[in-house]
Amino acid sequence: MILKAKTVLSYGLLAIYAYFCYLMLLITLQYIPFDTDVAFLRIKQDYISRDYYRWAFFIHAYTAIFALVAGFTQFSPLIRNQLPRIHRISGWLYLIVVLLLAGPSGIIIGIHANGGWSSQLGFCLLGILWIYFSWIALQKIKQRNISAHRDFMYRSFALALSAISLRAWKYVIVALWQPRPMDTYRIVAWLGWVGNLILAEIIISYIKKRQS
Amino acid sequence: MNKWILMISLIIFQACGQAGAPNDKKAEAVAEEEAVKSEASQVEEIPEEVEAEPEATPSEANPLLGYYVGTFYGVDIDFDKNPAVSNKITISIDSIGQDELFGHSVVAGNNRPFSGPISKEGDNIKVEAREPGDNRYDGVFTFTLSPATNNVTGTWQANNKKLAVSKREYNLDKRVFSYDPSLALPEDVSWSQLYEKHPKFEDREESLTEDVLSFNASNEELKKEDIENMYKGDLEVMRNAIYARHGYSFKNRKMRFIFDSSVDWYMPVSTDIRDDLTDLERKNIDLLKRYEEHAGRYYDVFGR
Repeated sequence: MILKAKTVLSYGLLAIYAYFCYLMLLITLQYIPFDTDVAFLRIKQDYISRDYYRWAFFIHAYTAIFALVAGFTQFSPLIRNQLPRIHRISGWLYLIVVLLLAGPSGIIIGIHANGGWSSQLGFCLLGILWIYFSWIALQKIKQRNISAHRDFMYRSFALALSAISLRAWKYVIVALWQPRPMDTYRIVAWLGWVGNLILAEIIISYIKKRQS
Repeated sequence: MNKWILMISLIIFQACGQAGAPNDKKAEAVAEEEAVKSEASQVEEIPEEVEAEPEATPSEANPLLGYYVGTFYGVDIDFDKNPAVSNKITISIDSIGQDELFGHSVVAGNNRPFSGPISKEGDNIKVEAREPGDNRYDGVFTFTLSPATNNVTGTWQANNKKLAVSKREYNLDKRVFSYDPSLALPEDVSWSQLYEKHPKFEDREESLTEDVLSFNASNEELKKEDIENMYKGDLEVMRNAIYARHGYSFKNRKMRFIFDSSVDWYMPVSTDIRDDLTDLERKNIDLLKRYEEHAGRYYDVFGR
């Protein structure tokens, strides 16, 4: 009976995750067809004319969503144990996106983030940590150190989820306090990922405690 | 499965509010486009005026010609139909013949000609002037033009008695219109609320802040740092103040109510001022619109 409730809960959460991924897809689709004066770019005209920024922005916008796909596969024990091939393919997709595409481009966009030095620092640090955790996770699995691989992937994916949590926080903060638009942005530039990382650490220590 | 639950809880904890889907860009961006779109609350679209703007300068021949400005008060009001109880109106007396008067009125984004027979009563001229009748908001102006006080007083009766406001009255003073880019918004605008319906009805209110007074977008070039942290309402009023200085008559109720009631220098004289904008104003309008979009659309929804 308990097992059943758990199943229902996890499928429910999976559905909610799918819904947020769908919202992220809608945000991505704003930039298709290719247009440099649309959505977020409406207030990025100072930078979008620069080649490196344009490349970074569109690489980020078009590829980052693929990192979320990993969320549907990598945390399922069933897939990990019964279908390791899927786990590996999905893992490589995630790593290529993070290490080569969405991660580096995110740092470049972060350098020019709205809201001044604090949000720029927040987003750049997010990008650097995202790449770092993912890279270490790759090294750990190459060394067959599964528990360390898991821990670093938790951290990495927590940062990937900041794409969702940043926007959700913004919604909540505005609904509660109506701060000014750019102040809101400065807040979520940090809150969006630091909160996730803390939760990931709590989860990691919880799992470790239970295993020992 | 357990780890799954924990990992996904991340999202739930972080996203305890429900998130709206990102809106369609076009819908929002076009909403205030050039501030010439019809107001959404009106039952029917008002056709675009095509006639040429009559001469604004009063002719030397007759000192009575010119603009008369004041409030167009509702008298017969149907509060169930979301009325605009009072608007600022400009009545322009364009020519006075032997026994007929020609003019036009500009109010609520509507520019309509009228004409009718006159009768003299001492120095005063009494007029019963009809609008053409091919617009659902047309009616009959009955007023007295008084040279002694430079004033127009009278009533307006709608042809369609079922309008939200079918009868109005007014007491207007003569005033010359001239574009002055240095005109500033009065202080009480910063304490005002933006609303679209008569305050009698509940409505989502937006309040303005003193930010709205910080720049005059008609005579100083705005930088993104100046406005990026401002609320949408302030940006919107700052942009529409440009149109107001040119005498634009607002269809958009939110803007009309602010400028009609709080800005003394404002007088509606035209329904299309696009060609009158200066290069500086065009530049500022473009920037303001970008940040209005940012502050509106990316503010309280899940999206960016």
